Amino acid sequence: MTRLRTSVGLLAIVYVAAATAGFLAPYDPAEQNRRYPFAPPVKVHVLDAAGSIHRRPFVYELRPRPGTFDEYDEDRERPLEIRFFVRGTPYRLAGVVPSTLHLFGVEGSRRVFLMGTDEYGRDVLSRLLHGAGISLGAGLLAAAAAVSLGLVIGSIAGYYGGASDMLAMRAAELVMAVPSLYLLLALRAALPLHLAPADAFVLLVAVVGAVGWARPALLVRAVVSTVRTRDFVVAARSSGASDVHILARHVLPQAAGVALTQFALLVPQCVLAEVTLSFFGLGVSEPAPSWGTMLADLQRFHILAAAYWWLFLPAIAIVAVFLLYYSITDALHQRLMLRS
Amino acid sequence: MRPIRLLLVRALYSAFVLAAVSVLLFAALGAAPGDFLTDLRLNPQISPVTLERLRERYALDDPVPVQYARWAASVFRGEFGYSLLYNRPVAPLLRERAANTLLLTVISTVVAWVLAVPIGALTARRRGTWVDRLVAVVVTVLIALPDLLIALVLLLIAIQVGGLPTGGMVSPGHEAMPVAARAFDLLSHLAMPVVALALLLSPVVIRHVRATLIEALDAPFIQAARAKGADDRRLVYRHALRASATPIAALLGVSIASLLSASLAVEAVMSWPGIGPLLLEAIHARDVHLVVGAALASTCFLLAGNLVADGLVLFVDPRTRA
Amino acid sequence: MTPRALALIVAWCLFDATGPVVSAGGAFARLQAPAPELLTTTGEVGRFGGHFTITQRAEPRTLNPVTAVDAPSREIVRQTVGDLIHINRETQLAEAALAKSWTLSPDGRRLVVTLRQGVRFSDGQPFDADDVVFSFQVYQDEKIASPQRELLRVGGRPIAVRKVDDRTVQFDLAEAKAGAERLFDSIAILPRHLLEKAFAEGRLAEAWSLSTDPAAIAGLGPFRFKEYVSGQRTVLERNPHYWKQDRQGQRLPYLDRLVFVPVTSEDAQVLRFRNGEADGILRIGAENFDALAREQEARGYVMRDLGPGLDYTFLFFNQNDPPAGATAPRALAWFRDTGFRQAVSLAIDREGIARLVYRGRAVPLAGHVPPGNRRWTNTKLPPPVHSPGRAEALLKERGFRRMGDTLVDADGQAVEFSILVSSTNTVLRQIATVIQDDLAGIGIRAHVAPFEFRAMIERVLNTKDYEAAILALGGGDADPNAELNVWLSSGPQHFWRPAQPQPATAWEAEIDRLMRAQVSMLAYEERKRAYDRVQEIVATNVPMVFLVSPSVLVGARAGLGNLRPAVLDHQLLWNVEELFWRAGMPRTPR
Repeated sequence: MTRLRTSVGLLAIVYVAAATAGFLAPYDPAEQNRRYPFAPPVKVHVLDAAGSIHRRPFVYELRPRPGTFDEYDEDRERPLEIRFFVRGTPYRLAGVVPSTLHLFGVEGSRRVFLMGTDEYGRDVLSRLLHGAGISLGAGLLAAAAAVSLGLVIGSIAGYYGGASDMLAMRAAELVMAVPSLYLLLALRAALPLHLAPADAFVLLVAVVGAVGWARPALLVRAVVSTVRTRDFVVAARSSGASDVHILARHVLPQAAGVALTQFALLVPQCVLAEVTLSFFGLGVSEPAPSWGTMLADLQRFHILAAAYWWLFLPAIAIVAVFLLYYSITDALHQRLMLRS
Repeated sequence: MRPIRLLLVRALYSAFVLAAVSVLLFAALGAAPGDFLTDLRLNPQISPVTLERLRERYALDDPVPVQYARWAASVFRGEFGYSLLYNRPVAPLLRERAANTLLLTVISTVVAWVLAVPIGALTARRRGTWVDRLVAVVVTVLIALPDLLIALVLLLIAIQVGGLPTGGMVSPGHEAMPVAARAFDLLSHLAMPVVALALLLSPVVIRHVRATLIEALDAPFIQAARAKGADDRRLVYRHALRASATPIAALLGVSIASLLSASLAVEAVMSWPGIGPLLLEAIHARDVHLVVGAALASTCFLLAGNLVADGLVLFVDPRTRA
Repeated sequence: MTPRALALIVAWCLFDATGPVVSAGGAFARLQAPAPELLTTTGEVGRFGGHFTITQRAEPRTLNPVTAVDAPSREIVRQTVGDLIHINRETQLAEAALAKSWTLSPDGRRLVVTLRQGVRFSDGQPFDADDVVFSFQVYQDEKIASPQRELLRVGGRPIAVRKVDDRTVQFDLAEAKAGAERLFDSIAILPRHLLEKAFAEGRLAEAWSLSTDPAAIAGLGPFRFKEYVSGQRTVLERNPHYWKQDRQGQRLPYLDRLVFVPVTSEDAQVLRFRNGEADGILRIGAENFDALAREQEARGYVMRDLGPGLDYTFLFFNQNDPPAGATAPRALAWFRDTGFRQAVSLAIDREGIARLVYRGRAVPLAGHVPPGNRRWTNTKLPPPVHSPGRAEALLKERGFRRMGDTLVDADGQAVEFSILVSSTNTVLRQIATVIQDDLAGIGIRAHVAPFEFRAMIERVLNTKDYEAAILALGGGDADPNAELNVWLSSGPQHFWRPAQPQPATAWEAEIDRLMRAQVSMLAYEERKRAYDRVQEIVATNVPMVFLVSPSVLVGARAGLGNLRPAVLDHQLLWNVEELFWRAGMPRTPR
């Protein structure tokens, strides 16, 4: 019980953070600081040079090492104090309210990169926060859509059997068999040249939903087909309960385990699916950040070989969020089992 | 319905699925802009005249139904089309590559299941403990990170550790080696891809086994047996597994269904000469016959997998026969 | 000594002097045949033996020199064929190859070529003028549609080929063409004895697929085809009859085998090379180059940055007329305004691109001929300027103005457009992201639209349904004629407005005139002047905004003698016949 509550609570915090990304993030995620590509995270100091506690935490500005491309030194001559509730680059809170207030920052036009920068010198922390929006939003909706559709179709197929079963399952097979890449090509051709981010969002949900229902449906149907002949179902039928009622009260909860497991597995897949869509020009395009592309950008040899370790920090944060989803589905599953 | 009749109806529907896949892909071909020769248009040294002639030679401008008919005729001849990219009939090309992929995926699937079922069972029994949480974290990491990334990281680790080849299926002098050396060579090339693919396949199995076992363990008769003091391990492995056989059988069917497609990332990163990279290249190069051929091969496995799953479910749980 | 004995001794001496072992029965035949006239190379004298493995990013499709069009096939075929006149990749000048010498008539329309004597194909059969005539017949055949066919047309007519005698061939051009001898580079001479039948039966285009028996394939290159294993490797072995020798008279090549291994991505190539499983690597990006360079000493290879090559990247706008009946999009007026394009060029931070995308291994470009093309680049062009201030001033002159953060045109419409870029090309996508940021700085909202490669080409060249796009070109010959189809207004690769029936602007007409004229100018200085003027016009009118020219980056295992990587294709293996492994190299176990 408490597990469910804690997990939901934490996830809610994550969602609030995503909505207030503009405030929490110190800088615009698209801002390129071209003198600082691949800058490592700065060390936050509390003790100043003399050894006593400074009144505010501070960092040293980074100075590019001459003759190198991605190496930096702390410039001990230039300490920058971290202040809270500073005015900075303008943004729209939750996409609506314009504001310039940021949780923290440093004075003037200097920059502090708590999580380092990427290849364009963009602040990784800002991108992580801003990228949560589409990934959490679209990814979640897409997974929910796919699993819901699969649950409904699989239940009907498994419960009624016969022709509807054949039809539904062969349709599922068809959907799984076709290499969707080819269809995405055709789809892109039919769409206009530029897709607004809102369109990309809808597209992700639609495409994943249209393709992703098949596997959950197959698994749900297998489970439901065994439930159909169970005693309590037979009993309910003979006492005159309608099919819908039986489906909803007796059959679906049996399939809940499978459905919830599939959901927890699908959410990360949906976040990554966004990258495949981007390949065809159907996803979120630059400079908008997304978790999927941030993860996919890691799969290059020179990134792995160059020890840009801070680029993996978003991966840790993303994995933590997925763990929350899993925790919630597991706890929900437990709840449902207790109830039936 | 008698089983034979069921099977026949199933076969008919499956043939329909295969035909539908091929038609869908050819239709998408018509709708997708560009074709096999499009990239040549960028080259200032290839004249439009040459391009025209090449298009004629490959019959790329024929209407889609005509191209489909030509492909269908090739299917009946057993060639399954002609690959423009590899300059060969599709069937033999697919056969060799599919064999390579199956070698990898079958071994990896077995390894994955052998590892995942006990782990899933363990986490189901020890639900809520640190073992369960640890496995949950590892599994989440494996599904959160892109397949390509995991495969690449494993490859780099393997290279650092040393001793294993960086990719490919066999070493250059393979055909000349004696049998024992050949087997060893193949095994050493298989090691990393199998580890990578097994790691990528396990999470789904672990999660599903865990979920179904938890439900099974929750059943009244198990509680009763526990109350009577039966040994925990025996409970799990004999009764609960049997009770949860259906969804696991379905999952096995899904595993079989994806035998030809699951290894794409691993094959790409580790240069395993399988069907995955072939299909990717074919899609990129718009080699329609090859794409359709590979898609149909995958579909066959899909259909077979579902058939096996349904058969297993029928066998395992007689109640579904009603 | 009997006359017979004397004859035998003379035969023995000649037999010895002509090199590799032949059967005793052949000794007399050799007495009659002239000693082969071998080309002597000038490189370091090396050791025989060893093999060289290189990775390719795709599998080869064919071994047929006539129809090979894709890069991996051509990379392999190139090692198995010889041409009459070859362009030295280092000096970028034409030099004698299978042709011992040639003469060009004063009017530039007749080229007479004297072939080397005693040269044999890789299967031992003799090479003579009949093979040359046959080869050109094949290349010019209409039905075969070889890509080389159009290259061998001058003045609208195919080059007339005539055998004068066994060792002389005459080529007649319809009109004078500058650099005519360069046409012969990479035109592989085919073995008539193996392909004549296939040609007569109309099967030549299908001949020499990868599953062909090696004995049925022969060429005049340093290597010959040995085996192909699908998905795994293509192996070439040393051609014992190769017609080049080193300064000590030893027959080249030194290497025993060339092995080509397909891998799927640049990262896989890098890993193989780093691990010692490949001996050379080329066409890698700056990041991978730096990653490899860090471990050079430890891992026993050398990485070389050859400086800027022939490639160049550019941004261009759609200046095509709208399709019949449709209204012109607002953006067309902007794109056709030279001042607008110049302003965009001023706003782009090329240094930033060179630094962020290429890690400094690229040079900003003002015109389309990069500094790597030493012979033809216009050194007097002013270097590109990065000045958002000047860009804004110029835009104001042209009637645009700033409304807050946004640039609007004279009608108050926000200046906004999408930039098409290939989704598989990470480098161009990165450039697009940088440019997007630069343009945002002057108030232009540019969207980066990644598209699958072929879909993108269709939009740009076929349906013309795009706004702006970024492409890269280069890698062909250094000669201006190689890009004729880009700069002629009627050319199909005149990207911003291809295949014009009439030049749309005065400056395009001027370029047409100059490019056509230089084709028949025979003196280099005259041609250079004309081409310099073309570069000036292009740089001023900015039909394409030139960005940067990347450096050529290659690597090879340490201990490879005569390694002289060049900027032209094939960067590592252009002198493969001279490459050899020094004693004790390579160190990694094979």
